Amino acid sequence: MAVLTQKKTFYLSNVIKVIVLLICGFLLMVPFIWMISIGFSKTANVQMPFPPRLIPKDPSWFNFKLVFENGQIFKAYLNSGIITVCSVLIGVTSSLLGGYAFSKGTFKGKKLMFIIVLGTLMIPMEPRLIPMYEMFNKLGMLNTFWPLFLPALVNGFGIFLCKQYFDRLPDSLRESAQIDGASELGIFFKIYFPLTGPIAATLVILTFISSWNDFVWPLVVLNDPNLQTIPLYLASFTQENGTSLGGLTMALATVSVIPIIILYLFLQRFIIQSIALSGLKE
Amino acid sequence: MLSKPSQKNMVNDVIRSKNSKRSQLIWYVFLAPAFLGILCFMVYPIIESLRLSLFNSSGTGGTWAGLDNYKTVLSSGDFWRSVYNTFYIGLFQMIITIPLGFIFASMINTVSFAKNFFKVIFFLPNVTAIVAAAMIFTFVLHPDMGLLNYFLGKLGLPTPLWLSNPGTAKWAIILLGVWHWIGFVIIICLANLQAISSELYEASTIDGASGFQQWLFITIPNMMGTFAFLLITGWIGALQRFNEVYVIGGTTGSPNRSIQTVVAYIYEHGFTGFQFGIASAATYVLFVIILIFTMFNLKITNMKL
Repeated sequence: MAVLTQKKTFYLSNVIKVIVLLICGFLLMVPFIWMISIGFSKTANVQMPFPPRLIPKDPSWFNFKLVFENGQIFKAYLNSGIITVCSVLIGVTSSLLGGYAFSKGTFKGKKLMFIIVLGTLMIPMEPRLIPMYEMFNKLGMLNTFWPLFLPALVNGFGIFLCKQYFDRLPDSLRESAQIDGASELGIFFKIYFPLTGPIAATLVILTFISSWNDFVWPLVVLNDPNLQTIPLYLASFTQENGTSLGGLTMALATVSVIPIIILYLFLQRFIIQSIALSGLKE
Repeated sequence: MLSKPSQKNMVNDVIRSKNSKRSQLIWYVFLAPAFLGILCFMVYPIIESLRLSLFNSSGTGGTWAGLDNYKTVLSSGDFWRSVYNTFYIGLFQMIITIPLGFIFASMINTVSFAKNFFKVIFFLPNVTAIVAAAMIFTFVLHPDMGLLNYFLGKLGLPTPLWLSNPGTAKWAIILLGVWHWIGFVIIICLANLQAISSELYEASTIDGASGFQQWLFITIPNMMGTFAFLLITGWIGALQRFNEVYVIGGTTGSPNRSIQTVVAYIYEHGFTGFQFGIASAATYVLFVIILIFTMFNLKITNMKL
C-alpha cells in the first residue's frame, strides 16, 4: 500500500514538473517565435501588429528579400567566419602546445610560467583596450582582422584544460618513442596530437562561442562597415533605426540567429558538455 | 615492459642527461606562442594602461598628471552612477537567475524523460549573441506594441514603460539578463547535481526522507560551492556588462544615463571623447574590483595559484 502511494506521488510530481518545465520553456522561446512572426510581416515596418499574433495578417517574404538583397548580412557572416576560424585555429594550437609543455615537459621556470598563465585569467579586457588600440594603430592594423585574432594566442583557461587532459594521458607513450629517438615535436604531433580529439573539440566550441559573440574589441578596432562582424552589424542597425522598421529588424535578427541555433541543435550534446566542463568543480 | 623497470629508467636517464640542455630548450618553443601573446596583449597593455592613467593624454606622450585622473573619475557623478547601475543590474540579475535556474535544474534532473529536450530548450537563449537578443528585446519590451506589456495588460498587471523610462530601464536590462543567463546557470547546476554521490540519497531514503527533504538537506548543502562559483563568475561578467546596454542605450546609456555601465563610461571617455587618461584611470578602478572577484573564483574552483 505504502509503495503504491509512493509510486503515485512520484508519478504525480513527475507530471507536475514536466508541465511547469514545458510552460517555462515555452515562455523562454516566445521572443524567438515572435521574432520570426514579425519578420514575415510587411506592415510591421510601419505599425507593429497589435495585439500580437502568431501568424501575421499579411505574411510575406518582403523583409527577408530586403535583407538578402542588401547583402550586408552575408558580408558580416563572412567577416565573422574568417575572424572566428582564425581565432579558433590560433587559440587551440597555442593551448595544446602550452598545455602539453606544462604537463610533460621538464624545464626551468615551469612553475612560475604556469602561474603567469593562470594569472592571465584575472586580467579582463577593459584595462587593455586603449593600449592595444594604440598598439595596433601604430602598426597600421586598425580596420584589419589581425587585431581580432592575434590576441587569441593567449588562452589561459585553454592551456589549463589541456594540461589537465595531458596529465591523464600516460607518460609511457613518450618514453618508448624517446627510446626510438623521436624529437619532442615529433612525439607531440605523432603520438599525443591524435589523442587530443575530445579536448580539442571542447576548445573549438568554447573559442568559437567567445569569438563569434565578441563585441567591445571589434567595435573599437573596426570602423569600416564592410568589415563589420555580425554583432557589430546588428548593433549599428539597431542604433540607426531604433524601434522603427520592426519587420526588417526582426527579419535581420532571424537571419543572424537561426543558423547559429541550427548549428547548436546539431552539436548540442558537445556544446552543453563543454559549457558544463567550464564550471564543473573537481 | 613492467618486468624491467630499472633498466628502462636507466635508458631514460641516459637519454635525459644526453639531451637535457636541448630538450629543455624545446619546451620553450612549445610555450612560445602563448608567451608571445601574453607579453604583447597582457603584460604590455596592463603596464601601458597604468602609465596612461597617470598622464594627461589623448594618445602618445602627454603630460604627467599624477593622481589627477583618478581624482577626476572618483569625484565624477557620472562614474558613480555607472557603478551604481552596474551593481544594481548585476545584483538583481543574480538574485533572480541563480535560485530560479537551480530550481529548474533540480526539476530537469529528476524528471524521468525528456531531460535532454529541456536542457536544449533552456540553454537556447544563451547561444544567441547578446547583441541579437538585445535587438529582439527592444521590441519585446516596447511600452505600447511590445509582447510583454500585452500579456501584462491581459493579466491586469501594470504595464511599465521599460526602456522609455529611466526608472524602469534597468529592469528591462535585468529581464534580458535573466533570459539570457538562465540557461548557463541550469547547465552548470545540472552538471554539479549529477556529481553529488547517489549514496547520500539512498541512505536518506532508507531513513524515510521525502524528496523535498532530500532536496533541502542534501542537494542544497552540496551545491553551495556551485552557487559560489555562479555568483562569482556572474559578478565578473556583470561588472563587464556593455554589449546589451550599448545596443539599447548607446554610449551614454540612455534614457538619462540610467543604464550606462562602468564599461560604457570607459568607452564613452576613451573612444568617443579620446580622454585616454581618464578612461584608463576608470579601467584601473574596475580592474582592481574584478581582480578581487577573480581571485575568489580561482580559489573556490581549486585552480590554485
